[in-house]
Amino acid sequence: MKIVSCFSRLSEIAPLAEAGADELYCAAADLPAFGQGALRGGLRAAAKRAHGLGKKLSLAVNSMKLTYSKRQMLEFYGRLGRAAEAGVDAFIVASPSVFTLLEELGKPPPAPIHLSSVQPCFNSRAARYFIRLGITRIVLPNQVSALESKEIFKECRAAGVKTEIFDYRFFGCVYVNGRCSLHDPIFHTFTSGKEGGELCRCGAGPGGTLRVKAETVATGRAAEASALAGRLYARMTCGGPPRLANAASFFDFFSMGADFLKYGTRRDPAAVKISKVRELRAMLDLAEGLAGSLPRPAARSAFIARMTSWRGLK
Amino acid sequence: MIEKGIKISGLSPARLEAGGALKDALEKFDWFYIGEEFCENLLPAPAELKRTAAFFLEKGRKVCVLTPPVSERGIKNLKSAFRLLSRLDPDAVELTVNDFGALELARECGLRVKINAGRLLYGNLFMVRRSTLRLINPQALRFFTSRGINRFELSATGERPRTDFGGAGSGELNLTLYYPYLNMTTTRTCLLGVPDIPPHESAAGINCRRECAVASFEVKHPLIKESLLVRGNTVFMRFPRKFYSSEKSLEAMRVNRLVYCPFP
Repeated sequence: MKIVSCFSRLSEIAPLAEAGADELYCAAADLPAFGQGALRGGLRAAAKRAHGLGKKLSLAVNSMKLTYSKRQMLEFYGRLGRAAEAGVDAFIVASPSVFTLLEELGKPPPAPIHLSSVQPCFNSRAARYFIRLGITRIVLPNQVSALESKEIFKECRAAGVKTEIFDYRFFGCVYVNGRCSLHDPIFHTFTSGKEGGELCRCGAGPGGTLRVKAETVATGRAAEASALAGRLYARMTCGGPPRLANAASFFDFFSMGADFLKYGTRRDPAAVKISKVRELRAMLDLAEGLAGSLPRPAARSAFIARMTSWRGLK
Repeated sequence: MIEKGIKISGLSPARLEAGGALKDALEKFDWFYIGEEFCENLLPAPAELKRTAAFFLEKGRKVCVLTPPVSERGIKNLKSAFRLLSRLDPDAVELTVNDFGALELARECGLRVKINAGRLLYGNLFMVRRSTLRLINPQALRFFTSRGINRFELSATGERPRTDFGGAGSGELNLTLYYPYLNMTTTRTCLLGVPDIPPHESAAGINCRRECAVASFEVKHPLIKESLLVRGNTVFMRFPRKFYSSEKSLEAMRVNRLVYCPFP
């Protein structure tokens, strides 16, 4: 398993590589990507630095909102071409319109395409669908577990398509990525001073003024409704819905042969990015070490025990 | 002419009858939306789905079968459901998909019914705001139309949006509008039902006790002005205000089917 790390400044490339990143990715201001944190500095310079260190460079072009006219779509294709010429090794894509654009132009993508988790793939048939469109890697959403992904992995392996997962500690949106209207206030209105926030990430906080009221209660189930209101209150004030991704799930993905492990919070400061990549490397070294020295069940248990008490690298 | 539908999800005709709603529904609506949009655990058993569909078809109504995002377990269930649905009249049955895997499976199963893109897929081709509805680019639409999909499902926002479909022909783009609940976000790990997963457990699927059947919940979040509604794994907003003056104004925005949702 290799580590893919995001970056947003040229100066981050070398320290991230030193911290353990095997591949790098970024976003560029003129090619729309999901989330914040476009590259400061040129793509050509970034590719040169990454390649100079023996690392591949991917570019996130995974916005679903490619709001372009026919002419602008052609210009968009031109920008992809220029990015590839500048040294980008792959594009991370979410919008299906990109596949149709390539089909209509009768041209191959300027660089291989990775399917973004923003276009979530939860099953082998979705994987097959996008593999047929020509992708070479699938970034799995964190809302599919390792055990649920076995058939996806089979499908990918048969087609020579690589798989990528997120580090469970550093990527935690609990709603389905790419299908969420809580990120931007497009339907709801923030009370004053909170504009620009992401409702999916801002828990109301314990002891806050969140109010939960059961309505349309099924006959004879009022007591259950009351207990569920309590659970909902707890989840909406602290952390949201449960997470599928955890230490056990990571080890299972590792054992299944997931090809890449991703850290992708581009807006993190440089020092945080570097420290997180070190954490990824340490976790991967731990998994590899245990898997190489113990039978699988023992290695799995030991890994989970160590990661459960994980409090970060000193 | 605007077609009118009602989303009954997993409710059987017998339950509608017991609740005194069946007769009224049969009188008012042309389309019955059965199945499940958001959660694979709520997808009715294939035989039940077929029974419900057959009931409404016998009554001269049309049926749209809703399908949710699915894991491998859901794919297995859908495969059986598609096999049974393929025996029904393809002119009176439609299928709504919310997962490209379900679309692929329908193709594999040779399902001949018309397929619609559901409310979890609209972001693939529309930029939707409360007061605007815009096709993101021509290729996004053609991605679907070239696969035989020309009906797209959205939720009403309580306002008549300004539309920009980039010159798309009326045959290419038909909208179904659900009201009065708009789905804001969906999670696989249900807000109500799924217990927290400890670090030593690798989840084999989403297991719940169908807690969503107990109640839906209104949530007043201190950071926003509107109320949220939570039912199972999906968060909604409610827009009860009638936003159109006439059917003509709906047709002008390519809406030719309305689907009433009695519950979120």
